[in-house]
Amino acid sequence: MGMAEEIVTEPNYEKLCSNILNCNEHVRFAGFVNDKSQILFSSQKDNLDSLLNENEIGMSIQYTLDRWRKAQNFTFRLGKERLTFTEYDNVTLITIPFKGKLLLVSTEPRIQYDPIIEEVNLILTNWEK
Amino acid sequence: MENGTITYTQLLREDLGIFRVTPDNGVVPDFKAGQFLTLGLPLESKIVNRAYSIASSPENKKFFEFVIRWVRRPLPGRLTSLLFNSKEGDKISWAKPAGNLTINDTLPNGKKDTRRIICIGGGTGLAPFVSFAQHLHDTNDKREIVVLHGASYVDELSYKQLLTDLENESIDKGKDNWNFKYRAAISRPEEWTNRAWNGHKGRIEQFLRSNDAGKSPLEELVGEKITKDNTMFYVCGWQGTIDGVMDYLKAKNFVSERNKREDGSYEVKFESYG
Repeated sequence: MGMAEEIVTEPNYEKLCSNILNCNEHVRFAGFVNDKSQILFSSQKDNLDSLLNENEIGMSIQYTLDRWRKAQNFTFRLGKERLTFTEYDNVTLITIPFKGKLLLVSTEPRIQYDPIIEEVNLILTNWEK
Repeated sequence: MENGTITYTQLLREDLGIFRVTPDNGVVPDFKAGQFLTLGLPLESKIVNRAYSIASSPENKKFFEFVIRWVRRPLPGRLTSLLFNSKEGDKISWAKPAGNLTINDTLPNGKKDTRRIICIGGGTGLAPFVSFAQHLHDTNDKREIVVLHGASYVDELSYKQLLTDLENESIDKGKDNWNFKYRAAISRPEEWTNRAWNGHKGRIEQFLRSNDAGKSPLEELVGEKITKDNTMFYVCGWQGTIDGVMDYLKAKNFVSERNKREDGSYEVKFESYG
């Protein structure tokens, strides 16, 4: 009798980024990084200038991953981390762990975030569809 | 257990530190390079014990030194958490040194072991080899010694300066007097923290992987083919590192101490942690 082969389906990061980017007019950027700082896919709204240069993007991702890793040190007491917000004057950064990767979303600052989070979570929940 | 005092702490990172323990009676007992010491600290009216590899050499009679990682997932280690909260001057208990990851000076046939020594340490698995290196240096050993250290990030390369100094001394004195080399590998070279790293990239065991010309980076470093007759390996780290090294060495007919041949010969000694 043969053994059943486990089929692991990788999310379509391009499609996810596209859906997230278009789920709300205030979303500027969506991207996925793995735990080695590699950007799996990212996309940004047209006609927007990046606020960070290439080196600063690398630094920002490193800081985000460092913070994520340190946050996991409390998992045994607080449970899994679900999301973080950092609101700057010029942009808001949202991170959401997703299947061992990290979703990075940036939005305009000082907006209603709840609808965006609900939309993004819905997209992530239905990622196979 | 004996009484001691934590006399030096140095955090290299939030979760990586160097600690020194000085026996209260002033006597560091004899031990062999590569052995470990069991340390104990009080927690809720009990003493919590854990063994740590000694990084200082047996010739250092002032203190024991350790390089320790504070692993917190899935759960933080009890003694290591206490240690990272300790201050210089705090009391600590310790038991006599033990462990078998020690340098072979003789072969099973009783002859002197003159083979090259390759030490492969993953993370804080470097500790016994820092002890090896200082001991072999202080005892004027003439064997060729190569220390390979694997880490994820450049700021985890503990003892880089000490080991680089030992290699520079080898260059200055000539390999007939002191024959020592040190190389490190960074497994996450693409991360921003490691952007300035231009040394070996990848897992430490990849030093053993042959290139298209059939030569490994290690063989290029020492300038000859590595065989079980000219080289003895010592490995310390996570089980994954041990397994990775053994995958390469088994293919070259190396055997470990745990699977030694009928005549008692072997070419690999290892110790895993975690």
